[in-house]
Amino acid sequence: MKRALRPLGLAGAVAAVVGCLTPWATFFFGYPGKVTLSGFPGGARLYPLILAVAAGVLLLVDVHGRRRSGLMAALGGLAIAGYNAVAIAKDGGGLGAVAFGAWLTLAGTALLAAAHSFGKEESAIAHSRFPNVKAPAPVELLIIAGSLAALLYVVVLSLKIEESTRFVSFVAFLGFAASALQRVDAFEWLQSVFDRHRQVTLGAAAIAAIAFPFTQAGSSYWLRVFASIGVFAAAAIGLNIVVGLAGLLDLGYIAFFGVGAYTGALLGSAARTTYDTHWPFLLVVLIGATVAAVFGVVIGAPTLRLRGDYLAIVTLGFGEIFRISAFNLDWLTRGPNGIAGVPDLGLGQFNFGETHQVFGVTLPGFANYYFVELVLLAAVILMFTRLNDSRIGRAWVAIREDETAAAAMGINTVRMKLLAFAMGAFIAGAAGTVNAHVAASAAPDSFTFLESILLLAAVVLGGMGTVPGALLGSAALFVLPEKLRAFQDKRLLLFGLALILMMRFRPEGIVPSRRRQRELHDEDGADAMGTVAAP
Amino acid sequence: MTQFLQQMVNGIVLGATYGLIALGYTMVYGIIQLINFAHGEIFMVGAFAGLFTFARLPTALQTRPLLALPLVIVSAVVVSVTTSLLVERLAYRPLRRASRLAPLITAIGVSIALQELVRLFYPLPDGRLGAKSPVSFPRLVNGPPVDLGGVTIARVSLFVVAVAIVLMLGLQAFVRTTRTGKAMRATAQDPDTAKLMGIDTDKIIVITFAIGAALAGIAGVMQGMRFVQIDFRIGFIAGLKAFTAAVLGGIGNITGAVLGGFVLGIVEVMATQYVPKGSQWKDVWAFVVLIAVLVFRPSGLLGERVATRA
Repeated sequence: MKRALRPLGLAGAVAAVVGCLTPWATFFFGYPGKVTLSGFPGGARLYPLILAVAAGVLLLVDVHGRRRSGLMAALGGLAIAGYNAVAIAKDGGGLGAVAFGAWLTLAGTALLAAAHSFGKEESAIAHSRFPNVKAPAPVELLIIAGSLAALLYVVVLSLKIEESTRFVSFVAFLGFAASALQRVDAFEWLQSVFDRHRQVTLGAAAIAAIAFPFTQAGSSYWLRVFASIGVFAAAAIGLNIVVGLAGLLDLGYIAFFGVGAYTGALLGSAARTTYDTHWPFLLVVLIGATVAAVFGVVIGAPTLRLRGDYLAIVTLGFGEIFRISAFNLDWLTRGPNGIAGVPDLGLGQFNFGETHQVFGVTLPGFANYYFVELVLLAAVILMFTRLNDSRIGRAWVAIREDETAAAAMGINTVRMKLLAFAMGAFIAGAAGTVNAHVAASAAPDSFTFLESILLLAAVVLGGMGTVPGALLGSAALFVLPEKLRAFQDKRLLLFGLALILMMRFRPEGIVPSRRRQRELHDEDGADAMGTVAAP
Repeated sequence: MTQFLQQMVNGIVLGATYGLIALGYTMVYGIIQLINFAHGEIFMVGAFAGLFTFARLPTALQTRPLLALPLVIVSAVVVSVTTSLLVERLAYRPLRRASRLAPLITAIGVSIALQELVRLFYPLPDGRLGAKSPVSFPRLVNGPPVDLGGVTIARVSLFVVAVAIVLMLGLQAFVRTTRTGKAMRATAQDPDTAKLMGIDTDKIIVITFAIGAALAGIAGVMQGMRFVQIDFRIGFIAGLKAFTAAVLGGIGNITGAVLGGFVLGIVEVMATQYVPKGSQWKDVWAFVVLIAVLVFRPSGLLGERVATRA
């Protein structure tokens, strides 16, 4: 019986591939991706095709974890084909609109999934040695370049896709493909390759980031988007210190960002303010960040002595107090209208709002802000990683895991928690000050509870305690609402559900910190956690 | 003086609602040390469930408030309790052994999701879906206001305070005298030992959530009757204030929650009346009280020490 599974699965793979090359819709009604044509995998048909081929290959090649990986790939193909079939039936007015190719793909991927799920229990290779495999240095460098290019390509592609259905298919594809890759330890291996060539990786990433504005041919649209993601990500990394490292839940984090923004607007010679101050930008950033940190200490000092839960409520309260104050203190904040007309930055003779010529390439004004965000982000990331690797970072993690034990080990828990809180506030303040210039204004509406929740969601979804997680989370939270216009109204509902599901099934986030993942999934680790968490 | 007494009365009426919601916070926290952020939303869901029932009653019943009121309250309680138990079973229970942060984040997710579900899918009487703007709520308890030497009290306010006091006394008696109440107290004190003594702690936790939700559902109907309109946001701010009331009274303490509710209601009304421009800051007073309590008396008015309970 079992012997018949492999040919059956392979037949499924062939069927799915053929299905993806034949039409999915019986007639043309404007469904994206030319799904009425045959001979090439247009539109969303490409994704099940790739997944089916991968699942088919995994039937033939024996690697550790292939059963679960193949099952994931097959299920991904099934899900994407099913979703598109439903969408085609809905748009085309009934099941008659769904053509043979779609049914064939569904049947094929279902067969593949069955073959993998009822197949041999585990592969002959008991333990994966894959993460320790070393390739020659030039090959590894090529792999690094290739994966960075692939990452960039994925980002650009996801920005380019216009239609909602196709975008959902694409995101589903990324999710299932990543999950299939993870089950054959591909990411662990990539990570080890990156670690072996750390400087090269960082250098390549930096060069790509710096070169980006030169490729935009004077247009500022994407620069604007990336600058906004940058400032959001900088704040998210700051929040990650508080939530991810020290384990303190801050629900009013946006208030510190707001303190920075108002400081920047008040001191940075805004046109519409009652005070006429013209202080240099770098000084203003420092002042904004420091003022925010002082607020952090003032809020944190009384509450951090108590159980952590109180902090959540008090920070939430502080966030609301800040917003209502900004709304009501007309003499300082100009009330609901906010402070508008914050001028472009200037350092010496250099005006950041103007177009500049560099190496014969015209850079729009926004490119300057893009670079400012890049510097800010780099500084924040450096701060985060250095702190994380230091004695202070280890103290924070110890407090997060077990406060009583940490105190017994001689850590001054109150002081350390206060430091984390102030540090997070400092970073948010700096990001806020910069943002006042980028957004050219500061108004109370930008600092609602919802914004705090968005930042928290970026950290939680991306991965608590990691930099890539916070970056990925911020980018996703910025790009997804742009793309999913069809779901615009249900955006918040999806956030809420995502938070619940994430905590239930993958509390370590999309990009987990390695230490955390070990704690959460390792057998012994799970036991240890259970005993610790019991009251 | 009359104005002062009038504001005092207003504060007590306001505090009665806070107290009813605070009971749910305080009991759940007392037993599993979880700040149930979604509790305010349970209150909101209760109000909407009551309205849903009322809008679909035959006209003969709608015009007879004394017959309609019990039906409205019962449906609010049923829906609130069902929602709360679903949330407990699906979202909180799987995380009982997880780190402290996980259930808190889940609770925020639940709170947002419940708000959005009502905003997007609440079936309005005219067939449209979604309560995107405030909807009006029937007053149900009508009649001329009572006049006590210049201090006027609306009938509905009297009713609200009376119901709140009866429920609180009933709950107090339940926890003090019944076998289940004893089991609840034991679970709150030490869940592991309680389990060893043969108490089904999971069942006790479910009962606690159910009682809290029932009280919140009733509070939701009371709120609707008093302000004659509700919207999907009422749970958030009411929940925060009720939590403040619970902390003010000493979290985990039933009498304390009620007392905290009344004190907070009075403080809020008085500050709004007597502080210059106080009404602009209406929603700030609760937080000021909360921070002040945490600084000067973290155990609350009637509570035991909490600082060491890490």
